[in-house]
Amino acid sequence: MATDISVPASLDHGTPGPGSAAGRNPWWRSGNIAYGLVGAVIGYSIGHFLGNWIASGYQQVQGSGQNDLALVLGYLVATLGWLAGLGALNYPLQKLVGIQVTSEESEDIEHRKLGAYFKYTLDHKVVGVQYLFGMLAYFIMAGLFALVIRSELLSATRHLLAPDKYLEVVGEHGTMMMMMMTSAILGPFGNYFVPLMIGARRMAYPRLEALSFWITPAAFVVLLSGLLVGGFPTGWTGYAPLSVEATMGQDAYLVAFGLMGISMIIGGFNIIATVVNYRAPGMTWMRLPLFVWAMFVTSLLMALAAPILVGGTYMTLMDRTVQTALFDVNHGGSSYLWQDLYWFFGHPEVYILALPGFGIALELLPVFARKPAFAYRTAVAGMVGVGMLSFFVWQHHLFASGMNSDMRPVIMLTTEMISFPTGIIYLTAIGTLWRARLRMTVPMLFIIGMLFNFLIGGISGVFLSDVPTDAVAHGTFFVMAHFHYTIMGGYMFAFFAGIYYWLPKMTGHQLSQRLGKWHFWVLFIAFNSTFLPLFAIGELGMPRRVFEYQRALQGLNDWVSISAYVIGIGILIFVYNFVKTVVIDPRTPLAADTWGSRGLEWFTSTPPVATNFVHIPEVVSGPYEYGSDAGPMAVLDAGATELRPGATVHEGN
Amino acid sequence: MTQIDDSKAQLGLPRSGRLALVTGVLVVVGAALAFTFAYLISYPSTVVAAATASDTVVLQSVGAIGLGNHPTWVSYMAQENGNWVHSTVLTVPANSDVHFKIYQYDSGSPLRNPYMDQVAGTVGGTETLNGQVVRIVNDNADGGIGHTFAIPSLGVYVPMPGISSLQTNACSTPVPCATTFDHNTVEFTIHTGAPGTFTWQCFVPCGLGFLIGNGGPMSTFGYMGGYLKVVA
Repeated sequence: MATDISVPASLDHGTPGPGSAAGRNPWWRSGNIAYGLVGAVIGYSIGHFLGNWIASGYQQVQGSGQNDLALVLGYLVATLGWLAGLGALNYPLQKLVGIQVTSEESEDIEHRKLGAYFKYTLDHKVVGVQYLFGMLAYFIMAGLFALVIRSELLSATRHLLAPDKYLEVVGEHGTMMMMMMTSAILGPFGNYFVPLMIGARRMAYPRLEALSFWITPAAFVVLLSGLLVGGFPTGWTGYAPLSVEATMGQDAYLVAFGLMGISMIIGGFNIIATVVNYRAPGMTWMRLPLFVWAMFVTSLLMALAAPILVGGTYMTLMDRTVQTALFDVNHGGSSYLWQDLYWFFGHPEVYILALPGFGIALELLPVFARKPAFAYRTAVAGMVGVGMLSFFVWQHHLFASGMNSDMRPVIMLTTEMISFPTGIIYLTAIGTLWRARLRMTVPMLFIIGMLFNFLIGGISGVFLSDVPTDAVAHGTFFVMAHFHYTIMGGYMFAFFAGIYYWLPKMTGHQLSQRLGKWHFWVLFIAFNSTFLPLFAIGELGMPRRVFEYQRALQGLNDWVSISAYVIGIGILIFVYNFVKTVVIDPRTPLAADTWGSRGLEWFTSTPPVATNFVHIPEVVSGPYEYGSDAGPMAVLDAGATELRPGATVHEGN
Repeated sequence: MTQIDDSKAQLGLPRSGRLALVTGVLVVVGAALAFTFAYLISYPSTVVAAATASDTVVLQSVGAIGLGNHPTWVSYMAQENGNWVHSTVLTVPANSDVHFKIYQYDSGSPLRNPYMDQVAGTVGGTETLNGQVVRIVNDNADGGIGHTFAIPSLGVYVPMPGISSLQTNACSTPVPCATTFDHNTVEFTIHTGAPGTFTWQCFVPCGLGFLIGNGGPMSTFGYMGGYLKVVA
């Protein structure tokens, strides 16, 4: 059956915007990655020159022999040059000087070539795909650093890395995972699917959305470049005063984290504005898919928490470059201040990572359980509750930092309170499973794995929320095991579930389910084999970030390291499956609605057309009315059969 | 559920083009990874103490190293086969008495804690300062304490006085410094136990230009700290 999925010209409502008729820019205004790289090199040179010009005479620069200002300005102007080369500044600059912008780049899906994915684009679906590839690259790089760490820990004394490199690798791994991966789910799936799931044709701020992505490669390269200037000794938490004293790699950490903070802020505001303003007729708040709710709450957390991070990194950069003393106790500052600023962002960040994972779980469970989501409103309340409470728990990271002892019980209470909404979300997920006839597909396996892992991570977190227990476990591998269970075991398992579930819609290609099951089982077993023993290692007193440990712990550490290599094998299976299926030998699902979902994202062609929907759907029921006679979720314009679930849009094209 | 869809070009490329693309990406990524990990395992030069009865390690601490990435940083140099090299990785034999001789060319200041005036962990609990055997040095004397040589895991701690503030013949770059310049000579002996790798460092904040002196050379391997590799 041949189906016309082109976008009728009548959809264009006059105002040029995403999805409108394509136009050609002159070459110097077209923007691409090559120009971006040239812009970055030129920008770095200019910034570095300026920094030397301004600060080379500073007493501190002459005394220390290092000019942090030159490096920081180099990074910042390089980022501007990168964005300018990509064409990100064309539109605002043209508007600024009063030039009428007459055309926007836009390519229909049928005409989209490889090059479209390397451009600064206004199509949220392309941005979603860009995010997916970007996040996978960052994740794999950070994972390789993890394997280097585990390789070093095969021995109780130094044996692989140069002696000063271990902390650098730990810092790179931790920062890359916790900084870059904040957008692992919101980036690819939030950007791609939120408009589709709410029946919108576009994002509210497509330029900001694209900007939020294209900042991430700059942040990644800046962070990685820290290795070339000595690395940073602070790990991913960047505590002062060490961060103020450290060598120039710390500048890379601060600039990169600051850039990612900006990416989070603008990405978050874009999703918020889209969900508030662009819902289709009939898409009431209580009909919003749970994944959209998760994206919405996560975006609120990003928009509210990340500015504190950006402020903190800016303050530290000021201390390092122009000799303010915000974190210097000897001159009226407070190194303790950083811990408050950092964790005021950092703990909401934990939920920035956890909520999207739950969003995917809650979204997928009804599809594979073939029954309505259990206690929909309660699940929504749980997510909102987690989001609100997440701003009141950050000081539990400071239990061992000399905080006011009277505050400890208060923070212990708020931290334990957050178990309630988290538990509610968890129980609603379990409720959906109750008496369901499950389809054990690959996405479903990953969701069940995620629920198992998160349970261990969550319960171990309750111990750490108690002051007496935390006083013992603080700074040990017990803490490390806990947050890997919640973040890698929860968030990343959900990320993989999302990939297996939504990739057919994003690309029109379905990953091999057989390899997917291998991926799941290898990863699930190896993950638990890696991180469960770390609880014991932590309880036996092995501190984090130290590569020399008691010889008695070598057996356990070797077991953990070998298991970590097996995790690597699991990831390799996925990479092979992904590259082979998506790039080399594409596998096309026979059915457009691969999983039989009621969601609006399946109401359009696969992959979706540039404007998402030929006709905006009218939502008439909730997204999870499986097993009832509620009828389809949305009503489409008469004759728009190509948009109904089950329509086969690939054949004959 | 799925069918192989190889009849049409994906992303505007034929299958051979896509294979070439993947291969190209793998080559670039592989090269980048090889560069990164080669850097991570690159090891600084190591000075091996002569395996003689004396087993002497000869070091000098200088106010500014004058070479490398951080020429203004305070640093140690080590002697190997009579030549001075910029290294803080020292290899010594296990279960032996290893004699250290350190030429201290840097200036100093009083310590924050007078308890740290005491020598610890050396054979006899003493050091020899300019020919005189001492158990304790006075950090409030002229010149204060320039640096300390400490191996925490072995309990070794040796304070080394700085040169006098009245000196007129201080060593400046280029290093190494000749013994004709003002300096203090500190000698001590430690007994190494079982093989292992042990961190050694200076505990005097001396990173000029860094917050309370603890940044830069104090926190960068190869300047005011290193590794003692005790080998069988």
